[in-house]
Amino acid sequence: MELNDKLEILADAAKYDASCASSGAPKRSSEGKDGIGATNGMGICHSYTPDGRCVSLLKILLTNFCIYDCQYCVNRRTSNVPRARFTVDEVVKLTVDFYLRNYIDGLFLSSGIIQSADYTMEQLVAIARELREVHQFRGYIHLKTIPDADPALIDAAGRYADRLSVNIELPTQDSVQRLAPEKSVHTIKLAMGNIRLKLDEKEAEPKAPKFAPAGQSTQMIVGADASDDQRILTTAETLYGSYKLKRVYYSAFSPIPQSPKSVPLAPPPMLREHRLYQADFLLRSYGFQVGELLPAAGNLALDIDPKLAWALANREHFPMDLNRAEPAMIARIPGIGLRNAKRIVELRRMRQVRYADLVRLKCSMKKIAPFIVTADYRPARDTTPSEALRRSMADVQQQMPLWPELQAA
Amino acid sequence: MSGDAVPSTSPGDADDTAAPIDAVALAIAGHPIPVASFGDFRTAARDLIVRRVPPESVQWSGSETPHGDLLSAGNAGLAPMLPAGLLEQPPAPQPRIPRTLMEMLQSAACYRAPDRWGFLYKIVWRWQLGQQEILSMADEDGARLQHMVKAVRHEEHDMHAYLRFRERPPAAGDPRFVAWFEPAHDVLPQVAQHFAKRMGKISWMIGTPEATVLWDGKRLHGTGPLMRSAADVEDSGEALWLTYYRSIFNPARLNADIMHGHIRTRFWKNLPEAAVVPHMVSQAAAGARKVGQLDTVGKRTGTTIPIAAEKAAPERQQPSSLDDCRRCDLWQNATQAVAGQGARRAKIMLVGEQPGDQEDLAGKPFVGPAGALLDKAMDEAGMDRRKVYITNAVKHFKWEPRGKRRLHKTPAQKEVMACHYWLETELETIAPDIVVALGSTALKSILQSGSVTMKDYMGQPFQHDGRWIVVTYHPSYALRVPSAEARHEAVAAIVEALKTAQRLADGEAPGKL
Ligand code: SF4
Repeated sequence: MELNDKLEILADAAKYDASCASSGAPKRSSEGKDGIGATNGMGICHSYTPDGRCVSLLKILLTNFCIYDCQYCVNRRTSNVPRARFTVDEVVKLTVDFYLRNYIDGLFLSSGIIQSADYTMEQLVAIARELREVHQFRGYIHLKTIPDADPALIDAAGRYADRLSVNIELPTQDSVQRLAPEKSVHTIKLAMGNIRLKLDEKEAEPKAPKFAPAGQSTQMIVGADASDDQRILTTAETLYGSYKLKRVYYSAFSPIPQSPKSVPLAPPPMLREHRLYQADFLLRSYGFQVGELLPAAGNLALDIDPKLAWALANREHFPMDLNRAEPAMIARIPGIGLRNAKRIVELRRMRQVRYADLVRLKCSMKKIAPFIVTADYRPARDTTPSEALRRSMADVQQQMPLWPELQAA
Repeated sequence: MSGDAVPSTSPGDADDTAAPIDAVALAIAGHPIPVASFGDFRTAARDLIVRRVPPESVQWSGSETPHGDLLSAGNAGLAPMLPAGLLEQPPAPQPRIPRTLMEMLQSAACYRAPDRWGFLYKIVWRWQLGQQEILSMADEDGARLQHMVKAVRHEEHDMHAYLRFRERPPAAGDPRFVAWFEPAHDVLPQVAQHFAKRMGKISWMIGTPEATVLWDGKRLHGTGPLMRSAADVEDSGEALWLTYYRSIFNPARLNADIMHGHIRTRFWKNLPEAAVVPHMVSQAAAGARKVGQLDTVGKRTGTTIPIAAEKAAPERQQPSSLDDCRRCDLWQNATQAVAGQGARRAKIMLVGEQPGDQEDLAGKPFVGPAGALLDKAMDEAGMDRRKVYITNAVKHFKWEPRGKRRLHKTPAQKEVMACHYWLETELETIAPDIVVALGSTALKSILQSGSVTMKDYMGQPFQHDGRWIVVTYHPSYALRVPSAEARHEAVAAIVEALKTAQRLADGEAPGKL
């Protein structure tokens, strides 16, 4: 099979994984050195495909042959997709060629399980090793770890990769048992724990050999099982705390050809994935807890973002006086992000914050107006019932399903 | 841009031997001050500030119009007069510009706007007057400055992202890679450095309408415009990229608006992948989105993998029945159950509370900081860790999220009771003569009572169910107490209890203790 055909099949097979970022690697440069590649710590999106997702890494599978039968996966063994397998050299060549043309920042490699977990993991490690050692490639490498593989192999992977990920795939143990019968949450957790121990060791002992400097991440598929957002976010919160993950990625379940009956025929609303992403961001960066965003079982609102939803449900904090409020609380006002919260605090050290300042900071005034008090402003509507506020602030456009024809189907 | 590796190509710099510009003299004469680089501006601005020349009295001409800014040339005769008596005043002190502001000025200087130098001078002037608010977005000039800086950074970023190299045939010699880009601001020098880091010793050239840079593998060279459009290089490697680009797109998620929102329209014409986008969009709209797969992949014949389900699952160590325990909910958020460890027929069993963060990951009891303290205490008491059995009253870690950390939570009595089943099993198999209860949870589990308190039993071994029970603090209590003195006492008490247990194990009757 031609390289081009393999690429077609093995990129197609890899596109269901949402993780893509290339940030978090230490700074590296090839200036004046043999080999190629640099990282600036921040990562860059090099292109966007018409699904609006960025291309920052060459995201492919080593092979889409797979002996597992995960129901949500297009490559499950009972699926009749065309199959292909790259050689180690082919993956290396594609990575280097694409990198030189500035299409990508590095490689994100995963694989179907072939022969055994160890065998598959060995192949993944071989590619990373060849890139780093033979080609002195200093770009980004993200390896998807096979959870059942020997910890020694995961250790080796961490020496070459910037990031490792172990996908939890589904938010509950029951769902994993039902939809991914060959997988085991137990070994997935053990693999994550093992990676965290290695990361901790490296942190405590800076001279220890390098280990996945960009940390670890995971992915959860949304909408393939019946778990609600509270369950999903609670699982994420548990994983963040236990394994110090850099990111949990949420990937809306995509309809797959010849879909088995065990998974739904239609995808969840794309907006659900986005709301989870927003909520996750509030957990990671704003100090919110799941219990605050979703105090009871259920899903995040689709018509308004989670921060606005929280504010509407907690009106007792508002309107908040920007000249007095705790800095951490200012960032909890809908329409004020972390950066603007910082700017407001800086400004108020010099003088009183006024309404016009917020306009200049490009805050979303429609959103923040009912929630703030400044030196010269107090909302007229601060007693408006939350429901009425919500109606006036809901993003009507976003309420529409993204694929009307599919939702109807 | 001071310190850039690419020599500026503008006429101002080309003439190295020209006498330095006397900015003050030009300002007095009502002439525009020619500025071709940030370095020129910096020198001129410093001289002007020292002579207290206000921004309204200065005209500047920028590099994009080498023959003088038309506007300022036309207005030359109307230049505002310098305030009378200005030059008689003693010179002002040299301006002290903090680094962050200097970096902002330097970035903003790449922003293509006809009045950029005049504006930057106004910023320097206001800073010199002590108007620190120019650093704030809430100030009008500050907002514009930040806007310029942001636009320039954005342009740099876009050029890092959306520039595409094409490979020339090896026979054509250097440069091996060629790219064409049309930046909206003067960011080529900085961007060239980015690619020098990326490409190692491989040679390349980037052409823009205003200038060209060449990297020969060691050094950057700058020159005027050499190319007029996208590199006219056939690169067969591009076909693979287009294949990848088509295949990594998920038609089920079509959302072209977001894509267009990210990549600015003016870049599309030079992106090879842009050519295939319309087809991808229409295909997706025409039904491919139902399966999320590229239609060419769908057309190929597929294969199912003939392997029996039982054979597919990897061989795993059978989870112990402890791992499968669902007697309470604690298993949910823990990594694994942590069983006891130690000698099969140990005379002494140490019972702690529950695994902590480290124990949960390692699957072994007492490996974290509390474990280290316990080890030290055992050493001091002359107890051999290999000869005892160490376990916990509760086998799964109970915790609560605190940001990215796990905060230990004391198990509830119903969890202690649920888990007693496992402690009971261990007590039966190991059959120790002496059990050391480390902390109150352990004691409650051993006595199967939620109401017992430590202080009733501390320091006096007693018999229960035919064995000796010795009660002391949990090592993590010793780690938690605030004062060094209390900590010392707690450790001493633990050591004392371990000694007691050891003596009991050696056959001494408690009466002699
Ligand atoms: S804590 Fe004990 S009782 Fe609860 S699930 Fe774990 S092993 Fe079972």
